[in-house]
Amino acid sequence: MNLRVEAGGAILAFIITGLFVVWPNPYFMALFSFFAQPLFVIVIVLYLHRVFRELRAKGIV
Amino acid sequence: MNTLLSLVPEAFETIVRILGALLCLGGIGICLRLLFIRETDMAEGRFVRRAHVNLPTVEYYKLMAFAGLLALPVAAALVANYHVFEGVHEVSACGQCHVMRPMMNDLRDPNSQTLAARHFQNKLIPEQQCYNCHADYGFRGSLEAKMDGYRHLARYVTGTNTEPIRFRGIFDNHNCLRCHQGTAKFVRVASHHTVAAHLETSEMSCLNCHGKAHPSRGQRTPGSPDYERLMAKEAG
Repeated sequence: MNLRVEAGGAILAFIITGLFVVWPNPYFMALFSFFAQPLFVIVIVLYLHRVFRELRAKGIV
Repeated sequence: MNTLLSLVPEAFETIVRILGALLCLGGIGICLRLLFIRETDMAEGRFVRRAHVNLPTVEYYKLMAFAGLLALPVAAALVANYHVFEGVHEVSACGQCHVMRPMMNDLRDPNSQTLAARHFQNKLIPEQQCYNCHADYGFRGSLEAKMDGYRHLARYVTGTNTEPIRFRGIFDNHNCLRCHQGTAKFVRVASHHTVAAHLETSEMSCLNCHGKAHPSRGQRTPGSPDYERLMAKEAG
């Protein structure tokens, strides 16, 4: 189970989201809306892809 | 729920902020562990003991991956979107973009005769004055307004906007009508009945008869005699 790319992407997105939540301003809002949020979506899609691939390999789905 | 939240808006905002920070810190911690995971950690027969429970290491890391790469990102994004859609209701939130400062300063100017200032002077809108007339931006607003909001944000942070800013769309009269329509004062005016259909579809602006809502573009143009006064920071 190698999830380094997903984990790295999520860390970056969490940092930006955390900054925006603690100090909401237009610049952090833009970073969250246009970068961190899409990055979260990419991370989730990659993670779910891994999960389904593993489940398929085990013949569960 | 809404009544409860309106009783403690600041406390709720603080709770959301703390919750968001905790979610992000938790997510970073879990993802760091996933980032530095070693092959030997995942060996068969190894167990992790957490709160009196022995879990096989592989299962434990799978649970961590679920939390760090799915559950926490969804939760953190939801909390952050609260700030995007609901946190922008306060006048001070609008004033964070300096191009909005003329509107904010004019709103609080006791000598101004703009529509926004008159509403403020007469305490017609006791709080969230920007949002109450531009309600389309919030969570329950239209998709079109949200797209507009994102466009404004992108142009502001990339410095591609020019002063004075101008409203490109058509202002939805329902932002005015939801308070004024049906009131005795509104019904008494004969012309409101004459143009009712045009007002309903926003074909005709309320401003046609009631004067400008905010300082004119001329006043907001850098170099104009009013520009410095309207841009003064202390009023924010």
